[in-house]
Amino acid sequence: MNSSSPVLIESPNADSTARSKSYFAFRLIEFILGGVFIYAGAIKAWDPIGFANDIDNYKILPWVIGVRLAFYLPWLEILCGLALITHRFYVGGLAILTALVSIFMVATIAAKIRGLDITCGCFGHASKNLNFSWHLALDLVLLATLLVVYVRAASGNGLSLKKNPYDQKT
Amino acid sequence: MNSRVVRQALVLVALAFVPAIGQAIYFRDKVSWQSPIPASESVTVVQARAWGANAVWLDARPDEEFARDHVPGALSLNEDHWNELLPQFLATWSPEKKVVVYCSSQSCNASREVARKLRSEAQLKDVFVLQGGWEEWLKSKK
Repeated sequence: MNSSSPVLIESPNADSTARSKSYFAFRLIEFILGGVFIYAGAIKAWDPIGFANDIDNYKILPWVIGVRLAFYLPWLEILCGLALITHRFYVGGLAILTALVSIFMVATIAAKIRGLDITCGCFGHASKNLNFSWHLALDLVLLATLLVVYVRAASGNGLSLKKNPYDQKT
Repeated sequence: MNSRVVRQALVLVALAFVPAIGQAIYFRDKVSWQSPIPASESVTVVQARAWGANAVWLDARPDEEFARDHVPGALSLNEDHWNELLPQFLATWSPEKKVVVYCSSQSCNASREVARKLRSEAQLKDVFVLQGGWEEWLKSKK
């Protein structure tokens, strides 16, 4: 059994119908969440110079670092989105995306407090017309969803990251 | 921290470098790796003013901000109404004129985008971004 992929655990006494529904519901959430991050990463990877300008607008990082991050972060986002969908390197991808969204939210709030006139950059120019409140709301929804998925995966409810205790061979 | 989380995260972090480096190599001549706007593509308020009638000023801010106030004689050219406003600008432009694009401040991106589109789509040569934008213009008037 591949130890890097999560395992669906069913105890002999589990309500298998409820657990199946729960499992598929969370798979749907993972597909949507992963798709959102793949899309966001692809949009930014398509225009890395535009994304570099968006990072620079936050006036947190010097340009020499920001421009290199602009080439790197979109691909990390895409890979982590794929990790959610394929369940390969799943928790690693979840952890990275959670960290990225959290950092991004803090940066956005800090920019707002400093009165900077910025566009989000989170979805490339597709999000340039979103105001600060909508950006923050979107980020909060993403962060909350990531945390719910992460906690559920780590707790072993339905979708577990632990080895299957009922599989005697592992 | 769960060692599996760390291990998987490190693998993803490392894997992401592969396409990133490939893309950076592809863009190596198209990007200013040291500064956001090459010095040759930006201009100060003092320099732009010195050009006098040889400069065409373009306001890249949203329509309502342009309507509220703008550099005297400036034309509005923003990304929201690019297709409608570009012909109006091109009708007043001539090859010997320098184009100065500004938005609200140093931190806004609109002027850089408009300037980039003018160079790539309209094939204009002498296009400059105003350092400090509208805020700097206002300060220079005081």
